[in-house]
Amino acid sequence: MTTLLQVRNLVKRFESGGGWLGAPKQIVRAVNDVSFDVARGQSLGLVGESGCGKSTVARTLLRLIEPDSGTIHFNGIDVRAAGAAELRRLRQRIQIVFQDPFASLNPRRTVRQTLAEPLQVHGLGTPSEIEVKIARTLDEVGLPQSAMDRYPHEFSGGQRQRIGIARALVLDPELIVADEPVSALDVSVQAQILQLLERLKTERQLSFVFVSHDLGVVRHFCDEVCVMYLGRVIERGPTAQVLDAPLHPYSRVLRDSSPVPDPAARIKLSRIVGEVPAPTNLPSGCAYHPRCARMQPECKVTSPALLDIQANRQAACFFPMVEEALET
Amino acid sequence: MQTTTPTLELRNLSTEFRIGGKWHAAIRDVSLSVDKNETLAIVGESGSGKSVTALSILRLMPQTGARHGGGEVLLEGQDVTKLSEKQMSRLRGNAMAMIFQEPMTSLNPTMGIGDQIAEAVRLHRKLSWSDARKIALDVLEEVKIPAAAKRFNDYPHQFSGGMRQRVMIAMALACKPKVLLADEPTTALDVTIQAQILTLLDDLKKAYGMSVIFITHNLGVVAQIADRVAVMYGGEVVELADVNELFAHPAHPYTEALLRVMPRVDTDAANLEPIPGSVPAITAKPAGCTFAPRCALREAICETQHPGLSTLPGGTQQVRCFVRARQAGGQA
Repeated sequence: MTTLLQVRNLVKRFESGGGWLGAPKQIVRAVNDVSFDVARGQSLGLVGESGCGKSTVARTLLRLIEPDSGTIHFNGIDVRAAGAAELRRLRQRIQIVFQDPFASLNPRRTVRQTLAEPLQVHGLGTPSEIEVKIARTLDEVGLPQSAMDRYPHEFSGGQRQRIGIARALVLDPELIVADEPVSALDVSVQAQILQLLERLKTERQLSFVFVSHDLGVVRHFCDEVCVMYLGRVIERGPTAQVLDAPLHPYSRVLRDSSPVPDPAARIKLSRIVGEVPAPTNLPSGCAYHPRCARMQPECKVTSPALLDIQANRQAACFFPMVEEALET
Repeated sequence: MQTTTPTLELRNLSTEFRIGGKWHAAIRDVSLSVDKNETLAIVGESGSGKSVTALSILRLMPQTGARHGGGEVLLEGQDVTKLSEKQMSRLRGNAMAMIFQEPMTSLNPTMGIGDQIAEAVRLHRKLSWSDARKIALDVLEEVKIPAAAKRFNDYPHQFSGGMRQRVMIAMALACKPKVLLADEPTTALDVTIQAQILTLLDDLKKAYGMSVIFITHNLGVVAQIADRVAVMYGGEVVELADVNELFAHPAHPYTEALLRVMPRVDTDAANLEPIPGSVPAITAKPAGCTFAPRCALREAICETQHPGLSTLPGGTQQVRCFVRARQAGGQA
């Protein structure tokens, strides 16, 4: 498998305050030293709770948010160094699908206009070729041709998400960044959209960066997963392995608090304590130590790096749960 | 076991909406009951009528465009649909309380949280402000808000989402309600916080001996918290069962489909099986079974006749399906 996307030591800081109104200046490290690779035809999941930086990572990949440091290489091309023309060519190959199918479509444009626009912007094809292309794409995402001249408000949530996916597909991208694409949908519709994405992945050899807070969805769709906590990747590995035998205590807590439809597997919650601290005021050492049941004095002092623990498995923890992983 | 009357009982409750000058039933013939110290979960997708059921119990549906379409809501034997609005407002927040999904929009942003709770207490009890504030502090401690005394005068925006939901729960509990209606109380929260809130609700239910109606779209959450489950589809209860029974032997084809369609964190599912089609619009309900157009078990009878709830052998599980009732030898 060839690496399509390579991200190294990505950092994004946001600042607030410090203006003439006198609020103290605060710096939030939304993304802190994040590295990962995505191979062609592979899907990588980014999971974590609100504020862990997963959506910021997704947006920096397309430079919708400019990262502060680190490198992003797409098929060998340095995305951060790309000029305007180069970036436009890159964005043809990297497309994004957003969470909210209600807010991400222009209500005053018909489906035909919405789907034709990217092709016109990139100067791809004559009007008749564009027409053929969007008709074929509509077909591919499972929408009827009659949808062409209708407006977004005439569609249900699931159908709108199909339009959003079709808009990403018309340019024949190689990588799709999907930011919570099924979170706003009912479960039965969610399954339809997941099935569609999966079909596209195999038929078109598409790669995905898939942002989600739902571990069940990630397990179903993603080959690999990065678990994030307060801007850092704290565990990375093949999805099923990470969820079945997590190495980092936080991954374990996250898995254990995801409810499963089985009354016999009710969560034992005594260990799940505390909330995510404010990102403006990160704890010293390992950011997870105030909530961690396995905390040792060392964890308060230095921050653990993301290291290889087992084959293909990395975790940022001084005391990874290797023994427990063997038992289960 | 069922010797006493249930705390809350719905008998054939219907609520109708006016759409295009005609009245359409948003929920019809909903019959449910909740006992003391019991959690009944109502589960369904968008448009299934689960929230309308909760709002109808409290009579919080808008005065125009919606009406009571028949049936009874019995709170300890008393029909609240017959009460005057004044009597009803004495019940709300007192004997019956509700928690909403979005804790930010349900709290007053201009008032400290302690005083908001005290105000709710004073509405229903003849108490001085200082006594009411004492009760407010007690419940805030009971919902495990850290340093409750110190945070008593803080405003809602100073709290995180999970803490705001705890404040909402505290407010609902302040008057020691007999029935607590929780409408998707954890949907806006992260999973670790959701797990904490679910545990808290379960502990409080036992401590107060409350009847809880818990509305959710997430079958995983249902498995966590429910004693009994009502599955709603298209404004009707299509299955009613004990929680263990429902997950071990789902009877209605819709319940089965819902379980197959949910991606699970603990096992690999090679293929999710999406349910074909979509929920019918309120104005275009099929003549026969509401689920028939999407159902794999559909027979001729399903398209013409409307099935009632049949009790399956064993007596605790009810299902609204001709085919499954016949297969199990149940009685209508």
